[in-house]
Amino acid sequence: MNTVLSVQNMNVTYVNKSKRVMAVRNASFSISKGDSLGLVGESGSGKSTLAIALLGLLPKETTEITGKAIFLEDTDLLSISEKEMNELRWKKLAVVFQKAMNSLSPVHRISTVFEDIYRVHEPHATKEEIHAATVRLLKLVNLPERVYHLYPHEMSGGMLQRVAIAMSLLHSPQLLIFDEATTALDVVTQGQILKEIVQMEKELETTRIMITHDMSVVSSSCNKVAVMYAGEIVEFGYVKNVMVHPQHPYTKALLKSFPALKGEKRKMESIPGFLPDLSKEIPACVFAPRCAYATERCRAEKPLFHSREDGSGTACFLTEGGAD
Amino acid sequence: MAYIEIKDATKWYPHKSGKLRDIFRKDKSFVKAVDGVNLSMDRGEILGVIGESGCGKSTLGRMLTRLEDPTKGDVLVDGVSTAELIKKDPLKFRRTVQIVFQNPFDTFTPRDTIQKILLRPLKHHKIGSSKEERLEIIKKALEAGGLVPAEDIMQRYPHELSGGQLQRISIIRAMFLNPSFIIADEPVSMLDVSVRADIINMLIDLARNHDASVVFISHDIALTRYISDHVAVMYLGKVVEYGTADEVINNPKHPYTKALISNCASIDPFEELATIAIEGEPPTPINPGPGCYFAPRCSMACEECLKKYPERYEVSPGHYACCDRIES
Repeated sequence: MNTVLSVQNMNVTYVNKSKRVMAVRNASFSISKGDSLGLVGESGSGKSTLAIALLGLLPKETTEITGKAIFLEDTDLLSISEKEMNELRWKKLAVVFQKAMNSLSPVHRISTVFEDIYRVHEPHATKEEIHAATVRLLKLVNLPERVYHLYPHEMSGGMLQRVAIAMSLLHSPQLLIFDEATTALDVVTQGQILKEIVQMEKELETTRIMITHDMSVVSSSCNKVAVMYAGEIVEFGYVKNVMVHPQHPYTKALLKSFPALKGEKRKMESIPGFLPDLSKEIPACVFAPRCAYATERCRAEKPLFHSREDGSGTACFLTEGGAD
Repeated sequence: MAYIEIKDATKWYPHKSGKLRDIFRKDKSFVKAVDGVNLSMDRGEILGVIGESGCGKSTLGRMLTRLEDPTKGDVLVDGVSTAELIKKDPLKFRRTVQIVFQNPFDTFTPRDTIQKILLRPLKHHKIGSSKEERLEIIKKALEAGGLVPAEDIMQRYPHELSGGQLQRISIIRAMFLNPSFIIADEPVSMLDVSVRADIINMLIDLARNHDASVVFISHDIALTRYISDHVAVMYLGKVVEYGTADEVINNPKHPYTKALISNCASIDPFEELATIAIEGEPPTPINPGPGCYFAPRCSMACEECLKKYPERYEVSPGHYACCDRIES
């Protein structure tokens, strides 16, 4: 398998005068070409921090990043210089943020923005060339050609989000990161965009990391899933296994808090308690205070991430034996 | 007779294009945010209102609480018009009808403690005779809502609490006055999934045990099915389908409802999604029509649909849909 991204023991710590907040702790996972990984968790679980750190977008003065993130077998995303990173951005890896309305310049036409980005890596490209490339991409995300000459305020949220997705594909990157890219959209628009993304991926063979808090988005558009809680990856595996037979108590609880659209109505349950304070070292299982199955051992010792052959696994004492 | 009756509720906002010549124009154009909604509710019933953003769900909610006056039509509570109720005794009206808003971070004054925030409505409506008694009421309510230790929470400022806690306080505050009609406008869309269930179960409890009528406005269809007894689907200011929650969601009749539900992602990865695509974006609510508002995007539309707005049909007992082309 060709691994696109392999993250090893990654830590991200936000530092200020009085505190050190360990937002991501000891994260390890890898994804291969053509995979689509859903990164789920509550707000504050560190999923966005993880992705933004991979993109090198965190301010150097206030963050400490350790570990490795091997991208395309030779580049370590966490240690390369700003200049090298700029070489990769848009070309090898691209990102789509939650609010496309805010990420597009309100005083420029879409065409100007596309031209600027295209010329970052192809400084001598002609207008016609860019126009042709853009129109092809706009078609891919189901937008009419006239969009090219519009200003952002002339479009709806769904259209802007599609423009942002098209923009991220401009240089056919190997890795795409969607940071809650469909969260702000309507059900119908979200459904359509997800379908388009899946379709598009088959054609372009890109790899995608999808950050979301919506389990249903993951199960309808991803093949792998990583569940994060309080900065740690607590469960990793294939969507078809994790969604049906979740192993980690947190994943189980998370799935229980979603009502089903069809079939029997079962009682929705919330998870009692709060996220732990991430500025303190947690020597035990991070989920133990909120876990219904926690034992003495869970409160005293930290469970390590046990992975099986295919990379899936959990960080929980209760599932260590392999059996449920 | 139904406890709450919404009769032809309509809200049109005058639409200004910002051009000078509009001032002299006779034929004013309007944004038809809510356009002739008829619904009724019994006591202890939860009505879910679903639809895309911009379909007028929130405007409807604001009209029910009289935060907006309807352009036409009326809302009756127990047979009495809300316009009359609020004119005669505004305090009593507010005691009857309460609203919970979407964003719990914006609902509270950031400079006051929770105690001060919660004391205000009690004082205003003269509940409890002394401060001590009122504090006792607040403490009991917070504890009943699962916010412990109550004394500690009362001394905190809104920014020191999480979204889920604030939203629970928001519901507690609405419940203080023992209202019999509550409008919940997207109460959980800003919250994390793990705390959503608490809020939802609190609203269900309110309807079941306090006999209150609850309007639950949301764009989350699975959640609406879970909480509601009846569901109304809105599109461009009109209710296009109405029925019991299970009936509407398992057996949708209107093409818009069908498309809406088919586009809903499921958490079951094995479920094959046969999505029905809707072409284009929702049209503007500025003078829509004359035909069916959904016709330009509808896969089943024909010439007739573009000419006149379809009638309301009863497809099965208690299940209504506004479409001329329903196959029976």
